[in-house]
This record gives sequence, structure tokens and C-alpha cells, in this order.
Amino acid sequence: MAKTQSSPISKAARLLDLVPYISTHQGVSLKDLAIEFDISVTELLDDLNTLWMCGLPGYTPLELIDLSFDSGFVSIRNAEVLQKVRLLTKEELVVIAIGLDLLKESIPSERGDLNGAISSLAEKIKGLIGDIAFVTPTVNSAHRAVILRAMKERKDLEIEYHSLIRDQVSLRRITPLELGEDNGLETLFAYCYQAKGFRTFRLDNFFDAQISEVLSEVSNESASRSEMFKAKCRINNRLRTTLERFRLNTASVSGKSDEEFSVESFSQDWLIRNFLSTLGNTEIIEPIELAKLVGEKAHATLDLYKNKVFA
Amino acid sequence: MSRKTERLVNLTIALLATKRYITKSEIFRTVDGYEGSAESKERMFERDKDDLRNLGIEIEVGSFDPLFEDEAGYRIKPDSYQFQLGEISSQEVSLLSLAAEAWRGAALDGSALTALRKLHAIGIESDLDSIPELAPHANIRDKNLQLAIAAITAKKRISFQYLNENLQSQVRKIAPYAVASQYGHWYLYGQDLEKGSLRSFRLDRIASDIQEEGKSGAYEIPESFQLRSQMEDSDELFTAHLYLRTGRALSLRSRAANSLQPSKIPGWDLVSLTFRDRERLIEELLWYGDDVVLHSPQDLRDEIILRLENGVKSYG
Repeated sequence: MAKTQSSPISKAARLLDLVPYISTHQGVSLKDLAIEFDISVTELLDDLNTLWMCGLPGYTPLELIDLSFDSGFVSIRNAEVLQKVRLLTKEELVVIAIGLDLLKESIPSERGDLNGAISSLAEKIKGLIGDIAFVTPTVNSAHRAVILRAMKERKDLEIEYHSLIRDQVSLRRITPLELGEDNGLETLFAYCYQAKGFRTFRLDNFFDAQISEVLSEVSNESASRSEMFKAKCRINNRLRTTLERFRLNTASVSGKSDEEFSVESFSQDWLIRNFLSTLGNTEIIEPIELAKLVGEKAHATLDLYKNKVFA
Repeated sequence: MSRKTERLVNLTIALLATKRYITKSEIFRTVDGYEGSAESKERMFERDKDDLRNLGIEIEVGSFDPLFEDEAGYRIKPDSYQFQLGEISSQEVSLLSLAAEAWRGAALDGSALTALRKLHAIGIESDLDSIPELAPHANIRDKNLQLAIAAITAKKRISFQYLNENLQSQVRKIAPYAVASQYGHWYLYGQDLEKGSLRSFRLDRIASDIQEEGKSGAYEIPESFQLRSQMEDSDELFTAHLYLRTGRALSLRSRAANSLQPSKIPGWDLVSLTFRDRERLIEELLWYGDDVVLHSPQDLRDEIILRLENGVKSYG
């Protein structure tokens, strides 16, 4: 998480949180304490020196907070007033409520106890902040955990994956390389042994993920990123939605009616399907071969609609 | 700089320790750090109160002595200062911590970090072994989410630039009620102050930073506002009947799972689907090309045929 120069106010907040933490972790090392509060040891020492000057009015040794940390280990006395853990702010409660939502659909069905605990915590928090946040998770947190572990342990994954472009569910062995994001969707960049190339997978399309016991061999492979398919088009209708569909940045649009847009993808199928989807709203300028493929697909589909069987 | 920090901590201690209200003059006399002219002390104190409130510390104002009505007193009630989820088990600490961990590297990670510290400070070891390996992740970095949540919890009105379908941006002013995420997109719900009705806004279509307008506590969220039903019932629901080539159009198939039946046409299944948005359904069906044939409603079918004919004409 971000390390920024503390303002006097956030520093005050940290001091108020240091007291209960040290009280329940008497003898904690300076190093561990700095890690817990995500600050440098120097800044922590400055915090502790400030805290030492604080206490009840009067400010004699009897009233001041008594800290000792010369030994490199911190303990605290005479801080009863601040000993209670501070309440969670509304923003912190919202953050936790959303986090609990994200966990919900990832708990195995046999762990009803956990689902119960999550619901009761969520209800408690809702009672405090109201019904102001709700999230339907798109990715199973257990799948993400397996992916992270495979990456950490440099192992391959066996996945069951639904490809929207191929309209197919398949079993694949992959070497996970990098987690990323694409217009709100979480992605995994990986080497796929079935496709014999690097592919981007959408995490919300994973049906299953398991660590593979087979040794990874991707480093020996010299496969490079596959070639990009490119096209130019005009967008005549539903500009915003169509730009989002083609993963184009809405900020760079000139607004002229005959503006040409360049779109690209590793998958030609993805382009064909998107242009088919937006038949009413887009116009392919080039390449002609792509336009032809979309035309053929449209023709085949139209034939079905004209077929009496489907009337 | 550290004088300010010290003064805030000392003020908190003094107001928290007192069982009665203490007056401003007592505060200035006894709490370390209030210096300078009467006016500058006054200003310092007003700022300090605001700063503590922003940290979630509510200073209660009350009468110190009924005989001296003109002199207000201040204190912090221990109940409004301390952790409010009560006694919690080690398993609950683990779940709450895991929930906060979901924000690592995302918007609101600052609040997640301070929440985590408080949870750790409770001093109950979390019981992670009792929980399966999970890695929740709030996949959003948009700082407008934080601004929206801050405005909702403070009940402050806001304004922002919003992109319409033609990418023209318009100023919208709302009283924000809630945030929600579905299918990977984040939405902001609120009362549109100019249109006079409840609206939802997709966060990534907000083209400016969210601006706060006016004071805290400017409105109440009506009891009739139900976030979950709001997310579901925004538009009328229609039913479509369609043919799917056997084994194809998996997404449509899983959405229509309970209505799936083999049709009289060999190699094709007949399903029904509910939908709200015509255009979105048309685009979704066309994605599958010749693996999907819409049977009804007729007007949608006509529209699809028209688009296919135009497609054949321009690309054929």
C-alpha cells in the first residue's frame, strides 16, 4: 500500500492506533511495529518520541504515557485512556463490507459455518452504515488464490476455462505469468500449452484451477507474443458502448462524425464476433479480408433466418 | 508539525478521560499546545475538532453546567470512540482482515490499511488455518469510488461530468445513496437533483473528479431505497425464445439453463431467456453468429434480419 509523507492528522491517527496495538503486543520489536504500520523505523521512532510527550493534562511523569523502546523492543504503560481499539470509521466499514461481499461466493459449500459468519458480520456492519454498498463478485477468490500460489511457487496450472471467443469450455495447462486488468475485467497473462503460445485469460471465465504437478517448461520455449490483428472502422451509432466493447479509450475521441478508429486484438475471431455484434453500428474500412469474413458469417446466419424450419 | 500532532492526541486524551463536559477555557488552560492570542486558540480548536471528526472521532457538545448556559462543554464518549463490533472471535478477525486485504493496491487501500491495524490491535490472533485459501480482490483503482463513498457516508451532495452515449459530457448533480458492482462494473446510485428521480451512473463513465457540494448531512437516504432491488428492477423484463445449436452459445445456455429443451429441429435446442435491454440482446445474439437463431419476439427478429441483410450488402 502507498507510502506517503504523513500529515500531522494522519500521524495523530497513527499515534492513537499505536497505543492499543502496543498494549496488546507488549515487547514488539521496532522492526515488526514499523512493518505493521507501514512506515520506516525512523518515522516510527519519531512517532514514539511524540507519543512520549502526550498524556493527561498536568503532563507530569504521572500523567504522561510511559514508553520504553531503547532496547529495540517497545512496551507501554500508563496509557489506559487510549487503550481501547478505535472504532472503525464509516469508510473503513464500507471497505470491509465490500470485502466480505467479495468473499461470499468463493466459500466451498461444505463450509456453511463460514458463510454464516460472513453473513452475520455483514449484517452487523449494515446495521451501522446502512445498505450503501453491494458487490457481486465476478471472480472466485479461491481461483485467484491458487493462481497467486502457482506464480509464487513457479508452478503450472491445470485450468478449466470458458473461452467466449471460441464458445467452448476446455481443459488447459498454462504457466501463469502476470495478473492484469482490462476494462474492469481481471486477466491472467499466461503461456498456454494447448495453444502453444501466450494468451490472456479472463479470471471470471475460470471454472476451475489446480496446481499442476508437472514441471513447468515454458522458459525453454521460444514462443513470442502472437501477431496482432488490426482493423480500421467507423462507428455510426452507440459510440460510447461500442468504444468500450472494442477497448478503446473514450477520452481520445475527436467527435467528428466520420472519425476512423483503429482496433486490434490477438484474436481474429474476437474482431469478427465484435463486428458481427455491432453490424448495425459499425463499418469496417479495412482490411477487406476481415470485412469479407464478417460478411460470410452474416450470410450464413441470415440463411438460417430465411430457412423455413426456423420461421 | 509534530506540535499539531501532539496537540490532537492530547486533546483526545483529555476529552476521553473526562467524565463531565469540559469548557473551552479549561481546554485552553490545561491541554498542552494551545498557545497565542485568544483568537488564534479559538481557530486552532475549531480546526482540531474538524480534524478529529475526519478521523471518526466525534466530539460531543453539551452544557457543562445548567446555570451557565452560555458556556458549552466538550467531551468524547468512550462508546463513540472504541471499536464497535463488540466481542469477536479469532475466525471473525480472520474474515474481517481478509475482507480488508481485498483492497491491497486498489482504491480505498488507505482505509483498508487503517482498518487492518485496528483489527490487529484487538490482539486476537487471527485463525487463518480455519479458512480455505482465498484471495479476494477489489479490482478498482478509480479514485472516484473513494470520493463517492466518502460523500455517501457524510451525506454530502456531489456533482460530476457524465458521458452520454454520444460521448458528450453533462454536469450531473446528485444526492448519492449507494455504490454497487456487478459484472465487473461499478455503479453509483443517487437522487438526480435536476431530473428529480433515482438514477444510476457507471463509475467509469464519470469524466471528472467527483466534487462535493455543500455540507454534511444534507439529506437522508429514504427508507424506500433498497439497493438490491434497485439493481434488479431498473427496467422492464422481457422474454425471448431462441434456438441454440447443440453444444454452442455456452453463456446463453447457462443463463437459460432451466428452460433448455431439445427442439424439433435436429441439432438445435430451444430455450427462453429474460432480457431488459433490446439493443444489448441483439448484439449478444449476433456475437454467436450462425449458432443462434432468435424465434421471438418478432420485432427483434426483424431487426436482426435487417442488420444481417445490411451486413451482407456492405461486406458480401
